[in-house]
Amino acid sequence: MQHTVSTWNTHFLSFIVLLIRSFPQSSPSPISSLHSPRVDLVQSVNQMVGGGVIQQILRRKLHSQSAATPVLSWFASKKVHEDAAGSSGVRALALLGAGVTGLLSFSTVASADEAEHGLACPDYPWPHDGILSSYDHASIRRGHQVYQQVCASCHSMSLISYRDLVGVAYTEEEAKAMAAEIEVVDGPNDEGEMFTRPGKLSDRLPQPYANESAARFANGGAYPPDLSLITKARHNGQNYVFALLTGYRDPPAGISIREGLHYNPYFPGGAIAMPKMLNDEAVEYEDGVPATEAQMGKDVVSFLSWAAEPEMEERKLMGFKWIFLLSLALLQAAYYRRLKWSVLKSRKLVLDVVN
Amino acid sequence: MNGLLSLNRKHIFLADDEVVDPKKYLEESCNPKCVKPLLEYQACVKRIQGDDSGHKHCTGQYFDYWQCIDKCVAPKLFTKLK
Repeated sequence: MQHTVSTWNTHFLSFIVLLIRSFPQSSPSPISSLHSPRVDLVQSVNQMVGGGVIQQILRRKLHSQSAATPVLSWFASKKVHEDAAGSSGVRALALLGAGVTGLLSFSTVASADEAEHGLACPDYPWPHDGILSSYDHASIRRGHQVYQQVCASCHSMSLISYRDLVGVAYTEEEAKAMAAEIEVVDGPNDEGEMFTRPGKLSDRLPQPYANESAARFANGGAYPPDLSLITKARHNGQNYVFALLTGYRDPPAGISIREGLHYNPYFPGGAIAMPKMLNDEAVEYEDGVPATEAQMGKDVVSFLSWAAEPEMEERKLMGFKWIFLLSLALLQAAYYRRLKWSVLKSRKLVLDVVN
Repeated sequence: MNGLLSLNRKHIFLADDEVVDPKKYLEESCNPKCVKPLLEYQACVKRIQGDDSGHKHCTGQYFDYWQCIDKCVAPKLFTKLK
């Protein structure tokens, strides 16, 4: 429902913007001033219709909502405005017709493809959603474990270092021990050679593939994206990733997915290269929590949310503090303003008839 | 952890130490609420059964059904998770 309202608003705003843009005519160049005023009008209508059509096409592709009725009525009212200049009205009408035909033809194409945008994901009540809510750090810890054991074989997280995990999900000793398990290429040494050494806290999380080409080659041409910012890089990221991971289902009747891809209704287009990775008991949690598919999904998304927005807790505290203080400052400023202006606002004028 | 039925219904264990995924469980329990879109989907499946052109599909009805289920499951799911 909210989605519908936002598209009406954007349509409405685009009309207002175009309307406003149309009125002031920029001062004509010396050459164009030789043209008759009627040609200028046609040019402006042309621009208007062109701009309007393009904007409408873009919105239609994005929202696939049928909005033909208000558009037509808007065009009709525009036509009335521009008709004042005689024969240019006929040209305007022709352009109008072309624009409307274009619009209507696009509407049929766009509305046929809801799989194109993927099934809209629901909103889950994340524990860290509130205005003063922090992350569930136990969940982040479990989520890192899921990432390490399930996801890290294909997905890199090259913006996160082991030291970032200290104080968030692991103690310093635990993080150091985890880092020491990996081998890192370092160097050159004094002899000019690269060497490998066990990892340190300052090292980034290891990458499964050397580069994008290797990743694509190993995954049938598809590149498993880096997950460091994934919940910010997708619309409604947290809910989307959770819905995607737990949403592998049989395709609807009439849809067949080619060999090598899998059906997922939340993925735009429906055919995703990643197979279902979260299966019950795929991971054994250290803290004994039963590792169901939904539990692992929640934990890994908590981890990914933290990875994308590690500053969230500090941001919320800062936001709350400053909004509170600035509200007090606003009250003070309002009082002070009214105090100073009271002198002028309480003036009285006396009309005295001089005898 | 072996075959316990937790008192607050957070973890659903069967007698033979199997865990039931809460999301699947809730999706099944939400089925009665979404009978209408389910019937629409099944009607669509029946309609396109004979089709060989490969262009007919029931994605719309499928999406409507799953959207209904998701809306029902989403508020309840996290209460069942740790």
